[in-house]
Amino acid sequence: MSVRDENAAWSIVGYLFSGMIFWGGIGWGLDSWLNTGYLRIVGLLVGTCASIYLIWLRYGRQ
Amino acid sequence: MFNRSGAAAEGFVPPSAEDFIFRPIFGDSLFFTKPALLVFFSVIVISVFFIATSRKALVVPSRAQFLGESIYGFVREVIGRDVIGPDFMKFVPFLFSLFTFILVNNIFGIIPIIQFPTMSHIGFPIALALFTYGVYHAVAIKHHGFFKYVKDICFMPGIPKPIYIILTPVELLTFLVTRPMTLSIRLFANMFAGHLLLLVFTIGGEHLLAGGIFMKVLSPFSFVMAIGLTFFEFGIQCLQAYIFTLLTALYIAGALSDAH
Repeated sequence: MSVRDENAAWSIVGYLFSGMIFWGGIGWGLDSWLNTGYLRIVGLLVGTCASIYLIWLRYGRQ
Repeated sequence: MFNRSGAAAEGFVPPSAEDFIFRPIFGDSLFFTKPALLVFFSVIVISVFFIATSRKALVVPSRAQFLGESIYGFVREVIGRDVIGPDFMKFVPFLFSLFTFILVNNIFGIIPIIQFPTMSHIGFPIALALFTYGVYHAVAIKHHGFFKYVKDICFMPGIPKPIYIILTPVELLTFLVTRPMTLSIRLFANMFAGHLLLLVFTIGGEHLLAGGIFMKVLSPFSFVMAIGLTFFEFGIQCLQAYIFTLLTALYIAGALSDAH
């Protein structure tokens, strides 16, 4: 594994976490504010999509 | 060295996170326990070793001098020059201290009598990750200027504008929180799990030895396993020190590069 791949591997994990934490957190907050139950799922999905899109932008385009 | 007592008498007590909590050394102060003592000790060990091996440097090096120079050369060439590029020299002292400090503190986990990897207390990796964090952001801000750096993080080129609303927070969170967090958690988790693994087989062997005849027969296997894992741990400890330093160098390299 080259140095570049090593870096990419850990950054990708970081991106996946950030996306889910941020948008999942917002969804969860909206859920408890609006007394609904589905927005946290939507948030997690949006966050995961954002993460994967960012990962593709950063590492998939070369 | 363990806090447990009479584990064999009242049935097997598996090792847990409580085995990582130590009694205070002076009075009741919880700030100075075994891990803190080990950190000071490691600094003394590293300083004495490198001063002793480099003070009377010979052209034909002695064994210790050779070892010291190999470690330094490894950090300078493999982690410094190969990763950071032409400007690497001013980061070598930082990388070298980081590497030796983590290495010695990790290896404490398998040195007899000491037998505790300092980095299995999460506070220490967090402190080191904060150093790395400070350095790479400072380098980037110095290199690019504050506003350009923030702009580079927040706005990736070549995507439609509305998408930024979704992507920018994720980018910011990655750069400011998740990256240093994964850095410290990786080191902490590896050391924590490794120490726990050694405890399981050592305490397990001891417990079997205290049991009936069938258990006594089985206990050597547990001890052999513990010894084998000790060597395995040594590999992991070196590798983790290397990876932590390598990632620090990579972040610095990323901060220095023009295309983010």
